Amino acid sequence: MLKFAWIFSILLPGLGQIVMGQVRRGLFALTGFLTSLAMAYWRFSLLAPRETTILGVLRRSLERRPSFTFLVLILLALFWILGILDTIKLAHVGPGRKARGLISFFFVLSLLLFVLGWQISEIDVPRMVKDFNKAMTPLNRVLWPWKAAVTRDTRVLSARAEILEGEGNPPGKPVPKPGNPYVYAEPTVGVSSKLDEKGQPVPGTIITLHGSGFEPNTKTDIWWEDPIGSRFQVRIGGEYLSVQTDPEGKFTVKLPIPYSIIPPGAVKGPLIHYVEAQQVFPIGPLKLSTPFLEIVSRMVETIVMGLMATVLGIVFAIPLSFLAARNIMHGSWIGMSIYYLMRFIMNVVRSIEPIIWAVIAVVWVGLGPFAGVIALTVHSIASLGKLYSEAIEGIDHGPIEAVQATGATKLQTIMFAVIPQMVSPFISFSIYRWDINVRMSTIIGMVGGGGVGFVLLQYVRLLDYQAAGIAVWFIAVTVAVLDYVSAEIRERMI
Amino acid sequence: MLEVQHLTKVYSDGTAALKDVSFSVQDGEFLVVIGLSGAGKSTLLRCINRLIEPTEGKIIWNGVDVTKADSKSLRKIRRDFGMIFQQFNLVQRLSVQMNVLAGRLGYVPPAMSLLYRFNEEDYRMAEEALRKVGLLEMAYKRARELSGGQQQRVGIARALMQQPKVILADEPVASLDPVLAHSILGYLERLNKEEGITVICSLHYLDLVQRYASRVIGLRGGQLVYEGSREDIRRMTDAQFKEVYGEEAERIAPPSLLGGTKDA
Ligand SMILES: Nc1ncnc2c1ncn2[C@@H]1O[C@H](COP(=O)(O)OP(=O)(O)OP(=O)(O)O)[C@@H](O)[C@H]1O
Ligand SMILES: [Mg+2]
Repeated sequence: MLKFAWIFSILLPGLGQIVMGQVRRGLFALTGFLTSLAMAYWRFSLLAPRETTILGVLRRSLERRPSFTFLVLILLALFWILGILDTIKLAHVGPGRKARGLISFFFVLSLLLFVLGWQISEIDVPRMVKDFNKAMTPLNRVLWPWKAAVTRDTRVLSARAEILEGEGNPPGKPVPKPGNPYVYAEPTVGVSSKLDEKGQPVPGTIITLHGSGFEPNTKTDIWWEDPIGSRFQVRIGGEYLSVQTDPEGKFTVKLPIPYSIIPPGAVKGPLIHYVEAQQVFPIGPLKLSTPFLEIVSRMVETIVMGLMATVLGIVFAIPLSFLAARNIMHGSWIGMSIYYLMRFIMNVVRSIEPIIWAVIAVVWVGLGPFAGVIALTVHSIASLGKLYSEAIEGIDHGPIEAVQATGATKLQTIMFAVIPQMVSPFISFSIYRWDINVRMSTIIGMVGGGGVGFVLLQYVRLLDYQAAGIAVWFIAVTVAVLDYVSAEIRERMI
Repeated sequence: MLEVQHLTKVYSDGTAALKDVSFSVQDGEFLVVIGLSGAGKSTLLRCINRLIEPTEGKIIWNGVDVTKADSKSLRKIRRDFGMIFQQFNLVQRLSVQMNVLAGRLGYVPPAMSLLYRFNEEDYRMAEEALRKVGLLEMAYKRARELSGGQQQRVGIARALMQQPKVILADEPVASLDPVLAHSILGYLERLNKEEGITVICSLHYLDLVQRYASRVIGLRGGQLVYEGSREDIRRMTDAQFKEVYGEEAERIAPPSLLGGTKDA
């Protein structure tokens, strides 16, 4: 019987071992094999969505991802063979003896799971290498954003021309005014860039923009304003479009009518776009830029939010922590039920991340720092409450007994025997929480809870990586300083 | 006079620490409680001022049943019982002076202590108590900076602040070396002799018992198994002592030291 157990292992890895009484080993092999088989088939069928037969699925995924499919199949086969060999070996060792050789099982299984994991998480190293340069521009701007920290006042030289989309009278050539810059477009009628049904971009009508009367030999930016009034700088291939004027102050530039979304019925009458050429000259002294000032004030807001949440958290957590301390509440069943209830609530509240509380608070009190303070306070109360109550539970009972013995009331006992013992842990936990709260409040802004996170996300969405970079720098410096300060204070206090 | 009648204590986990213990203590006695570890000595001492709630029995203090007292009168009763502990039980973070002042908590209005405030009179008493135990110059140190013997003297000063009629001492010298043990017990003896304060004290060492006790009771497994006068104990041999006490009994120091030093 035992000699032929390997036949079961041919049927399914692990079966043979189970038959031989090595149940755990068998179950390990069996579940390992079935799990990876199921995962592999899931990935294969995703690669071959239109195939219906197993063979079809295998063929198609071999075509699309040959190395992945091949590797997985080989490893599965290897696992299966190992299962058979293991059974044969076990038969030789005999029942009851401790059998070795589990390592190779583990190794093949880990390899299998790794290969599958690689594919499931869509790891794509070639793309990462190939497209690295795409990350360079934003990365550079984030790492050294300080050019955007200062600005100067500007004088603007600009002129615009009308473009008609769809039905209507084609706009005429604008009339030049002497002494003013002047542009005209050809043609003055066209269609916007679009996406077709497959999502491929279709460029709009190419127009040529002629300009004159501008400052000679100067960079000129091209802006666009669509019929619903949103104004943006034209980009071609991701880069802003600008031209250099010639020595007479003239230029010519071609551009497709850019992509714009106009909700149906948003505009009555003809759709009029404007194309605009603009030269900007800095005048006056350097000064701090709007984003910089905005970030500074948001950073202050962030720190204050963290501080407020900590203070409020402490205020509420202190009384609650006594209700959640076993050694204070024990004695009566009412006390113990309050204790368990407090423990339960605190654990639940604590396990919900502040960012989720922020989402709730934003719905509740609207966008802004107040929502952030609520979120952080709620979380602080729960986690400080837990830490404090553990500190209370950890205090020495001796002094309490001694103070009680003098005839002290409950309140006096708390003041003289409990609180003095709590001072150190209390201060240390509070500072630790302040640290966490300031870190958290930088993030909480991202869901609308006010603070620097709010503007950071906004800058990232507007692709203003320099402003985003300034925010990142401020956050990093603040967190580092805070880290140091809080460690230092805690060191001194205890 | 303190009368303990049929005192029984069963802890919530079912341990019967005291079983029907009855005895009485006259004013001015130096009563020593002996017994094996786990015999119920600490439980007995703590039942007297109801730090532990007795399960059954009565404790009559000057005609008042302590076990029936409500929290207000219990507060008054507790003031009469100063207590000192094996582990001293000082509040380590507070100053020596504040620890001593804590002995007045049974007298001052509770609201005042929210701000750690006491009367002028209390401060004067604290000074006096600290002088008595020879620690006046330590008043502003934190309790944790003191040595074990010094801490126990602070413990005595704290008990004195209660102007107690009885001092309950739960193995007051078990964590101290022999010389310090005599010093501490010397203070208790002086309070007993000079101020007439009754002392109820649990002790471990036969020679200390013989040296200081005016009467002894022995506990074993929560039951009162021995009661003897000063003369009974003086006559007691080590073998008899061990019978009550168990094999752990031992002498603390060679007899030559006995009754010698009073101060360390
Ligand atoms: N809080 C408690 N809950 C349950 N059982 C307790 C508690 N405190 C003491 N006991 C038990 O009651 C018995 C008497 O304890 P107690 O502390 O009074 O003894 P003791 O004579 O003071 O001993 P030792 O000399 O070791 O201090 C012991 O069996 C002990 O385990
Ligand atoms: Mg004890």
